[in-house]
Amino acid sequence: MSTLTLSRAKRSERSHSPRRNADYIRAGLWIALFVAMLAWAMPLVFVIFTSLKSEDQIFSTSSFSFPSSAEWANYAKALQTGNLLTAGGNSLLIALIKVPIGLLISAAAAFALSRIKFKYSRALLAAFAMGSMVPIQVALGPLFRVILDLGLLNNPIGVILPYIGFGLPYQIFILYGFFSAVPKEIDESVRVDGGGNWRLFLQIILPLSKPALAALFILDFVSTWNEYAIALVILQNKASQTVPLAIQGFQSQFTSSYGPLNAFTIMSILPVVIIYLLFQRYFVQGTFTGAVKG
Amino acid sequence: MWKRIASGGFVAALPFLAPALAAYVVFVIGPMFSAIRLSLYKWSGFTTDQQVFVGFQNYVRLFTKDPVFWTAVQNSIVWVLLSLVIPTTLGLVMALALNRPVFGRNVFRSVFYIPGVLAPIAIANMWRWMYNPNYGVFSDISKALHIGDGSGTTFLSDPKVAIYAIFAAFVWQIAGLNMVLFLAGLQSVSKELVESARLDGANAWGVFRHVTFPALRPTVVVVLVLTIVNSIKVFDLVVGMTGGGPAQKSQVLALWSYTQSFLNHDFGLGNATATILLLITLALVVPYMIWSTKGNED
Repeated sequence: MSTLTLSRAKRSERSHSPRRNADYIRAGLWIALFVAMLAWAMPLVFVIFTSLKSEDQIFSTSSFSFPSSAEWANYAKALQTGNLLTAGGNSLLIALIKVPIGLLISAAAAFALSRIKFKYSRALLAAFAMGSMVPIQVALGPLFRVILDLGLLNNPIGVILPYIGFGLPYQIFILYGFFSAVPKEIDESVRVDGGGNWRLFLQIILPLSKPALAALFILDFVSTWNEYAIALVILQNKASQTVPLAIQGFQSQFTSSYGPLNAFTIMSILPVVIIYLLFQRYFVQGTFTGAVKG
Repeated sequence: MWKRIASGGFVAALPFLAPALAAYVVFVIGPMFSAIRLSLYKWSGFTTDQQVFVGFQNYVRLFTKDPVFWTAVQNSIVWVLLSLVIPTTLGLVMALALNRPVFGRNVFRSVFYIPGVLAPIAIANMWRWMYNPNYGVFSDISKALHIGDGSGTTFLSDPKVAIYAIFAAFVWQIAGLNMVLFLAGLQSVSKELVESARLDGANAWGVFRHVTFPALRPTVVVVLVLTIVNSIKVFDLVVGMTGGGPAQKSQVLALWSYTQSFLNHDFGLGNATATILLLITLALVVPYMIWSTKGNED
């Protein structure tokens, strides 16, 4: 809005041609953006189209053609044969247990590292930060042995525990930055009132950090929902599998039923897309600014 | 009195740290060191079988008798190099284009970013379908443009092309994430500086080179490090699209390590591959860690 009034004001004192050039450039840029957006949307559109086509239509018409009639049978078939409801339930259970517990553990550690003075606290922070850089697959073999020895194969707890471990580094890193920004005078005043560390943590620091915690909650929910490698190793039977495992299982079992296959993909990504659309600002704000500030 | 509590030392910190330390040591650090230890043993991975110490024999076997290992190394390196250029540049261009009031900015931003929140294994399945030689979208495009012999495309079954076909899906996945990071970084570019550079007669390129880009430097470093880390971790996309085929030509280190441990039941080779993966990661990331801790002390 303001740019408009500005340009109008400037227009009177300038000649026309540079302005018109700028307009052309702006229009050209917008068209380029629009074309790029179409290209970016194509995979999703193509999958949605296919998921609504009958087998005949998939084989006989171009992939760009609009579905002639919505073939909801694909979705029904994917639901019946794909173990999606069981897997969805498992994924939801794992995420709902892992995300809050993991976040609380991360927050407590970040609190200690940022608020309590002790020897080697910086080294410890660095040790945690390092973990976010290491590929999970490095530890996959031994991790399988640890979970086997604990008797937790095919058990949701068997993935929740490693998820908590691997989720710590990034969350501690972000929350440490956030907690450190809270002025130290607050600590002093809490202690003068006779409050200890627990009160400071639970009543002051955590409530003050709600935006960061909310952003991390959403991001962690999504990455927990999407995790594949650890689940692949630990959850080996159908009853315990999560959504990503079900996707892969469905693909290898029904290689050429393209309609149901794509319907399955759509249903599996739907929860995450809905979460993204509801909580967009958390994805874009908070966490990333924390990451970029470093 | 309260001063002493404030610096209560490790004893005061322990209750807050204990759960995190326990989870981290048991499930992350412990297995990582086990991987290094097991790379020196010959073992099938079955509890009933013996672990036999063989020193560096697994590494010798990897380097001299395992051509797939070298394919995986080469693919992983190519992947890192390509991703340092393509999705980063794309993300920067998207961010620069959307850093001003553009009509429909939020829609553009969402469409570019959404692939980044989808499960990589789901992305792999979507792209596998797009690459379908008979009915896939790329086949139809190539037929429409009369590219090739009109019999469709065989990207994923072509040993020379498969890894690049998977990489294309990776670009689609992470360019939008880089865009968001750059958009956040662009908030720190001073508007006054941009304005004064314009008044001094700098054109768009001049402003970008002398004002915008220098201010973006910390963001660029973060994006590059994240890109390296994400490139080394690539696993789901390859599993879902080719499984490392055709003829193991699209293998990457993370998947080859898994394959040797869990499918070939050779924990020695699998963990030796994992250790190499760890060393490569550290070699790429440690310089950044040193640089960033130095930056914090200023």
